[in-house]
Amino acid sequence: MNRHLPSSSYFRPLLCIDEMYVSFDTSLGRVKAAQNICLELHERETLAIVGETGCGKSVIASAILQLLPSNASVKGKAIFLGRDLLSLGEREMADIRGQEIAIIFQNPSLSLNPIMKVAEQVAEPLQIHRRLPRHRAISKAEDMLSRFKLGDKASPVMYPFQLSGGMNQRVMIATSMILSPKILIADEPSKGLDQSLARQVMKELAGIKDEIGASLLLITHDLLLAKEVSDRIAVMYCGEIVEAGSSAEIFDEPLHPYTKALLNCLPEMGFKPIPGSSPSMIDPPEGCRFYPRCRERLDRCLLSPKMIKVESDDGDREVRCWLY
Amino acid sequence: MEKECDRPYHCPYGGILFRKVSIIGLVIFSSFLLAAIFSSFLSPCDPWDRFEPYLPPGQDHILGTNDLGQDILSELIYGSRVSLIVGFGAALMATTIGSSIGLLAGYFKGMADEILMGITDIFLMIPQIPLIIVLAAFLRPSFWLIALLMGSLWWTSTARVVRSKALQIREMGYVQSKRSLGFSHLHIIVSDVLPNLSQLVMPKFLLSIASAMIAESSISFLGLGDPSMKSWGMMINFAFSRGGFINGYWWWYMAPGLCITIFVLSIVLIGSFLEERDESIMGQQ
Amino acid sequence: MLALLAGKDLGKIYESGLIFKKQSLLFRDISLEIEEGKTLGLMGPSGTGKTTLGLIMAGLERPTSGHVCHRGKDIEDLKGKELIAFRRQVQMVFQDPQGSLNPRKSIERSIHEVLNLLSIPRREWQERTKDALEKVGLSEELLCRYPGQISGGQCQRVALGRVLLLRPKVMILDEPTSALDISVQAQILNLLKDLQRDMGLGYLLISHQPEVIGFMAHEKMILKDGISYSK
Repeated sequence: MNRHLPSSSYFRPLLCIDEMYVSFDTSLGRVKAAQNICLELHERETLAIVGETGCGKSVIASAILQLLPSNASVKGKAIFLGRDLLSLGEREMADIRGQEIAIIFQNPSLSLNPIMKVAEQVAEPLQIHRRLPRHRAISKAEDMLSRFKLGDKASPVMYPFQLSGGMNQRVMIATSMILSPKILIADEPSKGLDQSLARQVMKELAGIKDEIGASLLLITHDLLLAKEVSDRIAVMYCGEIVEAGSSAEIFDEPLHPYTKALLNCLPEMGFKPIPGSSPSMIDPPEGCRFYPRCRERLDRCLLSPKMIKVESDDGDREVRCWLY
Repeated sequence: MEKECDRPYHCPYGGILFRKVSIIGLVIFSSFLLAAIFSSFLSPCDPWDRFEPYLPPGQDHILGTNDLGQDILSELIYGSRVSLIVGFGAALMATTIGSSIGLLAGYFKGMADEILMGITDIFLMIPQIPLIIVLAAFLRPSFWLIALLMGSLWWTSTARVVRSKALQIREMGYVQSKRSLGFSHLHIIVSDVLPNLSQLVMPKFLLSIASAMIAESSISFLGLGDPSMKSWGMMINFAFSRGGFINGYWWWYMAPGLCITIFVLSIVLIGSFLEERDESIMGQQ
Repeated sequence: MLALLAGKDLGKIYESGLIFKKQSLLFRDISLEIEEGKTLGLMGPSGTGKTTLGLIMAGLERPTSGHVCHRGKDIEDLKGKELIAFRRQVQMVFQDPQGSLNPRKSIERSIHEVLNLLSIPRREWQERTKDALEKVGLSEELLCRYPGQISGGQCQRVALGRVLLLRPKVMILDEPTSALDISVQAQILNLLKDLQRDMGLGYLLISHQPEVIGFMAHEKMILKDGISYSK
């Protein structure tokens, strides 16, 4: 965690997503999964994208790595080290995946090969991408595992089914980190894990991330997790980013009515519900997407609001609402 | 009482026929079926009539003739009857027995499960093809007997698969909640468990048709089939035993061989399509 | 006051193997009471048999020892009308919202099944269905969809609405919101509270989230290492 560091805008942007649109053509119509996404991921920072199920947050990660199914169409740009990831060919993309940008998948027990020893799995990327000889790759892998407290004599030679879910999750993370990628993407890392275990794993992840100097893009529905580990948060609702800013500010002083309402749903705030339900992404509401459920709506809200910068102490703060 | 739903996503079964590959499978499958049903209309001549022997495919006999001068095309069309009856009969029997045993064992668990699965294990240990061969050799060989034997021996794998799925389904929320709502076991089995097993049973059924047909051919080929009936397997058997292979009368054994292959292929196509469609319904969101 | 549903000295031992029996104890000597209009919160780490205890209380599984009493009568001895009354008055709502509806049946069919079970004349079905949906805040639009086509929160509402058709007195809620987003969780919890107030329902709420129990429950119970602790 590097919240003690000066404001994140101090670092230069590493990944810059500019006006990205993602849609899927389905038999039911065109699903507008992500609309006008503008995001900057800075060096060494942790950026969390939070939102509810089906708001399109995972789509962003898949779009960046070109992992979307064939019925998807992507517009816009994602500039990473001067190259637009969205226009790269499959070959170049394959080099970037894993080496430069690594993704940690949701279910650790399913993402690991059950008949391979743990250390061998962690070493595999080194053998393939870096062409290291086997014994060197394995000793490096064991180093990496020991950072995740899996360094005792037994664990590296165990098989995934002999380890617990949390340990497997750590193995997954070690595998993603072994090539020292510049960006780590964690898509719902807390899913399927015990709450306390998820916290623990995330803290270790954040620690190692700082050590190797990577940036982390965390995609989660767990607001508290995002608050704990991230420097900045972007809140998504129905395919749009409605608010972005530093974690502390988002929680202390939410601007967008959706963010306020979402925070009110938290147990600490007494489970105050948001009326209505999330709109369909095929036929989203006109104007502001949150208009039908908003408590502070104005007539103006029937026109689409723009993302506007708001003055704040902690660097840039943006919100998509007519109230500001 | 079902409300008519006009929007496309209300009808998950719509759009089945729009998959090209499965259409091919369906077309092949149904043309074989039609050929079997309307053999007497479709075949150019009686399969037992004799013409000039060993004729290669040509104008008079599109697929040529065999050693007795019988028209191969007519033989094929009539042969599809026996092959299909054996295939369907055996598969229907095996699937029915297998799914009922699996369903009861899985749904009721406990003692019922132990006993039924014990029986299944015993049947699983019987070496099937040798038993069929021995029985077919002792009794008067007939294709009914073969179908019956295969049907009563081949249900074990279906039973096992169905049982594990039924075990899973019975723990699903919708079965549990229907139990807690007070529905009877019979109602739950018929209305909730069975429909959700169909995705498993249908492909299994289709594939057992295929394997029963192949087995029938092998048994016929071994000379244990019914010599008075024409089936695809018998045709290959005769082609082999009467020198069709050695003398290079390729049209004699090629045609039935291709028929078996293509028919089995069409079944596999339909089966895998059904599986896929089911996944897409279940995963729809 | 006589408790609506009470469990006395419940124990559950799992046996496996036909000849060489292996036994494993899940829990023992658990007693609990569910009263009208009150919520009993049941907490505990995963794998301690919270769900099994819920199933036993709902009469869906048999305890190895002890018994469950509905209005003072052991449910094993219930017959005829009393059994039907028990089956209707004690209902269970499950964790996985999508799983608690048959994926192959439209929402309408799932609801109509229950109306059929209650032998309600067909002409009232439409009315009753509409009422049931209204109670849980859903629109009729949903009726011809399938569970896979609606959200988890909507599924959970349908499941609730369907259960309410039976006019239950006691509901056993097994992690009713743990699979839902926080905003939907807040909606469902508030809905459950409203229903309790309006209909005087007694709840046994199983959850691993202390906040949820804290928000809902009048009394708490913790199941740990096979025995219960009251709080």
